[in-house]
Amino acid sequence: MAGAFDFAPAIALLPFGSFVVALFLGHLMPKRGALAGIIATVGSLLLSIWVALTVLGGETYNEAIYEFVAVGDQPIQFGLLLDPLSSLMLIIVSLIAVLVHVFSLGYMNDEGETGLPRYYGELGLFTASMLAFVMSSNLLMAFMFFELVGLCSYLLIGFWFRRDGPPSAAKKAFLVTRFGDYFFLVGVVAVFATFGTAQFAGPESFPRLAEAALAGEGEATLLFGLDAQTWFTVVGLLILGGVMGKSAQFPFHTWLPDAMEGPTPVSALIHAATMVAAGVYLVARIYGFYALLPTALAVIAFVGGFTALFAATMGVVKREIKQVLAYSTISQYGYIMLALGGGGYVAGVFHLTTHAVFKALLFLGAGSVIIAMHHNEDMWEMGGLKEKMPVTYYAFLSGSLALAGIVPFSGFWSKDEVLFETLIHGFGSDGGIGIALLLAYAMGLVAVFFTGFYTFRMVLLTFHGEPRSDTARDPHGVHWNVKGPLAVLGVLAATVGVINLVPVHTFVPAVPEYLHDWLFYGPEGLNGTYYEELLHNVAGVDPGYPLGEVGTMLASAAVSLGLALAGSALAVALYRGDSPVEHTDRLGSAKTVLFNNYYQDEYQVWLAQGLTMRVARGADKFDQGVVDGVVNGVSSVSLLGGSRVRRIQTGIVSNYATLLTLGLVALLVGIGLMGGWF
Amino acid sequence: MVPIQYYMMLSAALFCIGVFGILTRRNALMFLMSVELMLNAANINLVAFSFQNGNLTGQVFSLFTMALAAAEVAVGIGIILVLYRNFSDVDVTKATTMRW
Repeated sequence: MAGAFDFAPAIALLPFGSFVVALFLGHLMPKRGALAGIIATVGSLLLSIWVALTVLGGETYNEAIYEFVAVGDQPIQFGLLLDPLSSLMLIIVSLIAVLVHVFSLGYMNDEGETGLPRYYGELGLFTASMLAFVMSSNLLMAFMFFELVGLCSYLLIGFWFRRDGPPSAAKKAFLVTRFGDYFFLVGVVAVFATFGTAQFAGPESFPRLAEAALAGEGEATLLFGLDAQTWFTVVGLLILGGVMGKSAQFPFHTWLPDAMEGPTPVSALIHAATMVAAGVYLVARIYGFYALLPTALAVIAFVGGFTALFAATMGVVKREIKQVLAYSTISQYGYIMLALGGGGYVAGVFHLTTHAVFKALLFLGAGSVIIAMHHNEDMWEMGGLKEKMPVTYYAFLSGSLALAGIVPFSGFWSKDEVLFETLIHGFGSDGGIGIALLLAYAMGLVAVFFTGFYTFRMVLLTFHGEPRSDTARDPHGVHWNVKGPLAVLGVLAATVGVINLVPVHTFVPAVPEYLHDWLFYGPEGLNGTYYEELLHNVAGVDPGYPLGEVGTMLASAAVSLGLALAGSALAVALYRGDSPVEHTDRLGSAKTVLFNNYYQDEYQVWLAQGLTMRVARGADKFDQGVVDGVVNGVSSVSLLGGSRVRRIQTGIVSNYATLLTLGLVALLVGIGLMGGWF
Repeated sequence: MVPIQYYMMLSAALFCIGVFGILTRRNALMFLMSVELMLNAANINLVAFSFQNGNLTGQVFSLFTMALAAAEVAVGIGIILVLYRNFSDVDVTKATTMRW
């Protein structure tokens, strides 16, 4: 009997089919291709759940389905790897994709947008490539679909290509992530060169080979005369380049706020489940490799913690609702990186899950507000929408409480676990990595305060107080196709934390930690238990409890919850009332810096135009002048020589005869001299 | 019996006269004649060596050469006629269009 794994390729092929159908037949269909997309993604969701149930039964799947280069004993192939991590991610991606498709009915179809077959086609391709990326069984296949995801986000961000902003934002997203992907590509090549394979799982996979090489057993080709630990760290950091580009980590975060130019459902899909999630998912996927490399872990944690804080401070001053959400996305992915770098594999995946739910919810909620506001995104023109759109308000509030990390919403449980894991591993590890983790933890902790602040500033400005513009007084209504996804996600955002109630489990062992069990007892070499052993044995990252296990957990939770509440309370205090006023001026010169996003764009433009452009121009001069000069010189010398030499071709028969005779005489003399006739 | 050196001398002299004619004359008809002289110089050599060796192969070969020379003259005169038609002259230095 055919099991779930036999149908697994269909998870990615169904949305791909909807891409083809919507693109070529969409203009003939009643909803312009939306129905094809919805049916396909619902199919993917059902299949994903079936796969997850099969995985729950203790089976995993790691098989090649197509070999496209059969070289040596490790051919390059497409394969599927279905284990607890990938089946969880499959459900997240396909669930968000279904809801985004439904929401698009309200956001795109009902608003009378044109080009819808293209829109739904690209959405289908986007979902398909992300699902295939999630199921990839090796690094090269992952890289291919990683790039496809990037391409689709480029297409979708630039969907309204007739305006000025979107095409430029799309190009920026494409180029910035591509810059990170260069490192990733080099990293893929380095993995192949070092291990001869790029498989994620199995005894011949590259994380296992790396582990053996570090233990001095297996063989790996080390380049540049580095020792195994150093070289593997270099490879890990190269791959991390792609991760930082896609997951918008400092300094590659600049594309993400601009990507808000795309349609709002696309922003939800990009930020919750696909493009940005692809980066951190990759780290989780090859965690067995990173767990061997303390330096790489420290870098991941530090970049994550710094990004979490850095982006959160920028979110504090933004005027547009989607801009606030964009910076919160960057910040939250910083937390996920922080968790992964801090040895909290489960915490990272948990936060990835809850974030996918509440960030999709917040973006769709913002989309609903934007519909109501006739596509005006300025929060200072909103206000008072609470009574007019209650479903949106309560769903949005649920997402906001989750984002701010207020108990008992899902974000609290995951963010608390992220911080807790980083803290204990920071205390327990010796040397540089311990200090790096504690520093990163401190930054992540401060960011909690800012998160609470900007979240509630956004909620209060949007929904509370008196309406501050005519459109806010008389908003446009929204239909079931907007409210439905919001309601589903609103309930999930409040409750999805149930899957991993670690603090509660400590006191009441009867409360299960589903996610923890799910990820800790997976297949050989791919489970959390194994990763913890690696962290302990190889990287020297250990948990330490300064206040005892329970005490540390409670203290950590209390501190993070307290900061979140303090931030939220400050926002409520400043922006409550019927007509709130701007307080950003009180920040003084810091306001200018924050409004200009720390001049990150300016310095990157300077890097591109002031530096790279000049170097490129110099190189161009060298190419045109010196290299081409030599080539042109050679050709003109031969031209000139040719025009001189051809003069001996006079056309007069007597001259030819003379030359022939002279040649004969010369030949005779030559032969005579050699033959010794004289 | 006449020693072979004399035949050689005669043949070399004839060949040199032919070469001299080709190098100095401008008339195409004189060219043809000079070429005939050179061919006949070769024939004398063939016959002389054949006689020296005591077999007839060289002499038979020289008969073929004469037939070939006759054919060559026919072709040569044809070319000269075309030359005259195009350039109104049989001076070989006038026909210089086949060059760069």
